[in-house]
Amino acid sequence: MPTLKIDGREITVEPGTTILQAAQQLGIEIPTFCYHPGLTIAANCRMCLVDTNKAPKPLPACHAQVMDGMEVTTQGEKVEKTQKAVLEFILLNHPVDCPICDQAGECVLQDHYFKYSAEPSRLFHRKQHKPKAKVLGPDIILDAERCILCTRCVRFCDEVAKSSQLTVVNRGEKSEITTFPGLELDNPYAANTVDICPVGALTSRDFRFRTRVWMLSSEESVCPECERGCKIRVDSFENTVRRYKPMHNPKVNDWWMCDAGRGSFRQYLDGRMEGPTVVRDGRRVATQVGRALEDAAEALQSAGGMGQVAVVVTPWLTNEDAYLVGRLLKGPLAGARVIMGGRAPGAGDDVLIRPDKNPNKRGVSAILAALGVAVKPLAEMDLAGVRSVVVMGDQNAFSDAQLEALGRVERRVVMGAFMGPLWQAATTFLPTRLHWEKDGTFTNFEGVVQRIRRAVAPAGTCKSEGYYAMKLLQAFGEGGLAFDGPRQIFAALAAEVPDFRGLSYENLGDFGQKLGEPPAPPTPETPPASMEASA
Amino acid sequence: MATIHVKRPELTFAEKLYIPEVVKGLAVTTRQLVKNVFTRKDITTRQYPEEKRPYPDRFRGRHRLMWDDDKNVRCVACMLCSTACPANCIHIVAGDRGDDKVEKYPVSFEIDLLVCIYCGFCEEACPCDAIRMDSGKHPLPSFSRDKQRIRKVQLLEEGDFSIARRGGRGT
Repeated sequence: MPTLKIDGREITVEPGTTILQAAQQLGIEIPTFCYHPGLTIAANCRMCLVDTNKAPKPLPACHAQVMDGMEVTTQGEKVEKTQKAVLEFILLNHPVDCPICDQAGECVLQDHYFKYSAEPSRLFHRKQHKPKAKVLGPDIILDAERCILCTRCVRFCDEVAKSSQLTVVNRGEKSEITTFPGLELDNPYAANTVDICPVGALTSRDFRFRTRVWMLSSEESVCPECERGCKIRVDSFENTVRRYKPMHNPKVNDWWMCDAGRGSFRQYLDGRMEGPTVVRDGRRVATQVGRALEDAAEALQSAGGMGQVAVVVTPWLTNEDAYLVGRLLKGPLAGARVIMGGRAPGAGDDVLIRPDKNPNKRGVSAILAALGVAVKPLAEMDLAGVRSVVVMGDQNAFSDAQLEALGRVERRVVMGAFMGPLWQAATTFLPTRLHWEKDGTFTNFEGVVQRIRRAVAPAGTCKSEGYYAMKLLQAFGEGGLAFDGPRQIFAALAAEVPDFRGLSYENLGDFGQKLGEPPAPPTPETPPASMEASA
Repeated sequence: MATIHVKRPELTFAEKLYIPEVVKGLAVTTRQLVKNVFTRKDITTRQYPEEKRPYPDRFRGRHRLMWDDDKNVRCVACMLCSTACPANCIHIVAGDRGDDKVEKYPVSFEIDLLVCIYCGFCEEACPCDAIRMDSGKHPLPSFSRDKQRIRKVQLLEEGDFSIARRGGRGT
């Protein structure tokens, strides 16, 4: 086990550790561009050069492995001079068009320049010009002038997406990133190259020019588009979600997310139904939440026995909502037919994308099973003799025949968020919150329980399905179920459902907890990591 | 406690009658009127809409947007003005110009003059001399709040060519 000194501080690390990793263990910051923990090491940007006593010249810290008795200096005149020289070279032909660059504000080059160089340019020739706004693929635009040729994107395509679509052509100052002839950067993970690009060379066509990044407010959450549940950051501005960015979670998605998930937020931006409606005298009228809930409770009671009630639950419920819905199904609605809705399965791959396109099927199934609620799959939905039906969620893959059968049921209580066939079929409509409008947890297919957080204020008078379930429980006279928030609900859930035993919001931590594994000791909740965490 | 006794002036009989005093006052007014009508000396008021007071050069008035060489908008929609704006009155929607030299331009550029505090931070933040507050004009009165949200077209009408250097390729 080699022992070395970095800036006078001693540390013993495993053999084969790089200087950069050892410095990170000590909390010493070494600036990098091309280094990414999820990719192989290229050591081509030279930003991480540090001085050692084992070599006459500075060594790249990301690549050089530690040696016993090594003394590393990450500051001081020699290193600072090197860093300034490296930055001068990188900025030699850089257009410095930060005001119109989408990366400005989360740009590693900007940060490093102000921190390590801040020297004016000494170049008096014209800068080398390269293609600007070059379309590389369906979601990616390249500005070759801004590129610092760190080759993170090239390595990403080779190693993670396994598509090998990008390469570097030409030599010297004429080098630039491009796709191989006849190829497009169109792999299902292509937009990750935008995240890992330290500068504004690769930008997303979806997000391009839409919002300056310093105006965004961010909240950590989970992508709901498949059962993988990638950890994401929801960036919003003016109470509108503007983009998803993947966050690092070694238990789930490492650093990446798929393009389908990343672009999925757009489908939730339009067509919201923001208030409850009921049908009075054959006409749909807007009403208040309390009135609509009374109407829903009355619809359930008027069915004449729970054998004539059907409930379609959705795997889009958070664990907390599922617990309250489970309590409702176990208590006053015991005996009702329960059907698990959700999206139809789609394609999957062996990187991240899973065939099941629902975020919390495992969690909802586990909770309902633990509470003793028997659930049937959507294909076996039988509404014969049903007089009242409750449908949760918009994302249920009903067939036309099933929708028709739903329309024939006498009282149809729908909890949804969007205007659609279910809203049209509803006799009582209760508006629900989207996944970025509520706090809670999702359980992914491997059983990793992760927090989702409220990123924007809920639209209108929308409430979560759990809230409606709780109010219905109270309407049916079930007392003692007054929760103040998802934290308390999760505590009750952890006490009642064996799979979740020992879990709490305090010990979920940054990366979540896997069901069945001993939970980590509780840690105080940390504020969301900085914007750079995904870069 | 020390008290000061103020001596009240005693009114004379003529003053108590009031009429002579009123006549005296009217005489002052009439004298001033005759003086102002026949000689314009020592007049303290201004004939406002016709005769305007010159403002200092650095007076910050209504905003305007400058033109580039082709009389297009100089603004590149970098949103530094709306970032610097302490009143949050500048609303820009950026778009792609489809031009290699300057990629970005404001599709819409709106300033809510009712919200603006005329601090001038926007023109100081502007990296390409696109927004200026040197029109020397006041915000105009209007019958609706919406009219006080001035749009890109109105801002450009007041505009002019600028000789300042703007970044971008080939400059």
